[in-house]
Amino acid sequence: MTHKFLSHQELSSLVADLLAAKTRVIAPVRAKDDPEQIDYQLIQCFEEATFGVRLPRRSLKEFFLPPTEVLLHYKQTKAGVEIREVPTVAPPQVIFGAMPCDVAGLATVDKVMDWDYSDELWFGRREASTIVSFLCSAMDATCFCTAVGLGPESASGSDVLFTPVDGGYVANLITPRGEALLHNYGSKASDAQLATAQEKQRDARRKVEPNLPAVSAELGGWLASNFDHPTWKTIALRCHGCGACAAVCPTCHCFDIVDEHESADEGVRRRNWDSCQTSLFTLHASGHNPRASQSERFRQRIQHKFSIYPSRFGEILCTGCGRCSRVCPGGMDLPTILGELVNLSQAKPEVSGQ
Amino acid sequence: MSALQDTARKLLNDGTVSVVIGYEAGARGVRPAFITAPDQADKLIFDKRCVQNLATYLNPRRKQVAQLGKAAVVVKGCDARAVAGMIREKQIDRNNIVILAMRCGGVLQHPEADAELTAETVSIRCAGCTAREPKLFDHLFGELPPEPPVNAHRIEQIAALERMSPAERWNFWTEELSRCIRCHACREACPMCFCVRCTAEKSQPQWIDPSSTPHANRAWQTMRVLHQAGRCVDCLECERACPEHIPLGLLARYVADAVERRFEYKASDDPSVAAPIGVYRTDDDEEFIR
Repeated sequence: MTHKFLSHQELSSLVADLLAAKTRVIAPVRAKDDPEQIDYQLIQCFEEATFGVRLPRRSLKEFFLPPTEVLLHYKQTKAGVEIREVPTVAPPQVIFGAMPCDVAGLATVDKVMDWDYSDELWFGRREASTIVSFLCSAMDATCFCTAVGLGPESASGSDVLFTPVDGGYVANLITPRGEALLHNYGSKASDAQLATAQEKQRDARRKVEPNLPAVSAELGGWLASNFDHPTWKTIALRCHGCGACAAVCPTCHCFDIVDEHESADEGVRRRNWDSCQTSLFTLHASGHNPRASQSERFRQRIQHKFSIYPSRFGEILCTGCGRCSRVCPGGMDLPTILGELVNLSQAKPEVSGQ
Repeated sequence: MSALQDTARKLLNDGTVSVVIGYEAGARGVRPAFITAPDQADKLIFDKRCVQNLATYLNPRRKQVAQLGKAAVVVKGCDARAVAGMIREKQIDRNNIVILAMRCGGVLQHPEADAELTAETVSIRCAGCTAREPKLFDHLFGELPPEPPVNAHRIEQIAALERMSPAERWNFWTEELSRCIRCHACREACPMCFCVRCTAEKSQPQWIDPSSTPHANRAWQTMRVLHQAGRCVDCLECERACPEHIPLGLLARYVADAVERRFEYKASDDPSVAAPIGVYRTDDDEEFIR
């Protein structure tokens, strides 16, 4: 891995040059409706960006899997049905100030998007994107990235990782795309700057680590063999099933596909975010619902993230960003729940399923 | 809080109820608690962080709660309007619940907040509170606190909406609702949304397109707020749940104010008072359909 030093001025010039070249640039900015909050947004000038203040309200997911997107247009004619698909090549975009947890989420979701079918729209945007993540300095008591194998300095999914040092940033160039982005910018980082950056990364980890011990690899196995454990009956009592957790989650990726008529003979096929927390998600045409109450739906959320996905793709489907806890109107707190489940799994390792 | 805890313990001990729905300390401030064992009753707390409307958990769609059996629920005076609404609309049986009502001097905006109650920190739902002294209860707790400070934010938003021309208002809501991702978290968190099958989920015919498009978002939120007219209890659970931070409570409040002007009715904490949506009167004005 190679390193560079970029001054604040050089970063500003880089962003200005990208914008001048009509590249889409996304960065954290102060939310219009609440200046205390941060959103990832397209920016028009470098000054709009606000780095390192706090975790943006929503993850980066929507820039790769929008809440609603058109898959194709259709038109019924006398000759049959005309189909017009949407382009799968996306315009180039660069994301600055991405949180390592959000970027890691994209890399995790890549696995399912390239599983039985390679999702052209997802990968079209992934391939058009260069991601510059910043060492996280916005962690709070609800963060638990270090418990799920990541960390505030995690480079998973990033092309470049910036660590702030005096006067600018140390840039870890992680991929050829990251090297290309900074080809004409920055200078060699000094040993002192590298040492400072490493110390800052260690400090950042130490701020998150006490929040939750590492989620053990055994949890997945315990979950798989304890589908009928009595804890599922009570674990989600306060859950409304609103699915706000899934909307803000960097790794929840389920979608629904619908055809919507726009006139008598024309229409659009769209895909929309969906969530296993709603009853409609599993409602059968017969009226039967295999996940009849929130107990079963919340169990599914935990099972999918910490057992099913890891067993299929080798990675936990959670980046420890804590957004689900922050947004939950019912006070469901994932780090608390994970702590309780880990305790259960360690207390009775011999319990088997029915 | 010992009176509340004692009563909860007694209700569980003598088998009057199987669960007491109240507030307890959680990782992020105060969270809803479901106390089923008498020796857990001392977990119950009540303070200015108790933002959540716990009446929501009486909604029959909360099957995971219903399966616990007969419930006692801790409510503030404002939350009692939701209990009354569900009794009025035959969703719950008054004889099958125990209402533990708290005198309340206002709550903060977020259950995880830690601040003195001021005009900035107090919930916008407390402005103009007329329910510090709850009227619908089986047991009443606490001393009557002074009136909460007034957070005028929502009142100012309503005044601003009223100053707008219809076209300006249309544009305002089109812009706000453009962020709606149709996750329906607003509906799920609402105590008064209890339809077994929401119109938004019906597909034969598809009354409302499920995608997040300007017309479908408007159709969804318009339908929801009209169905809530005179029923919404202004608890703002929808607004707290919305991951896109749309001021859904403002939309509902605007409609509630219109209902009050036309029908002299505000969501009542008296279950025997009929709501306009469920009443036919021959002397209705009906000027709008002339």
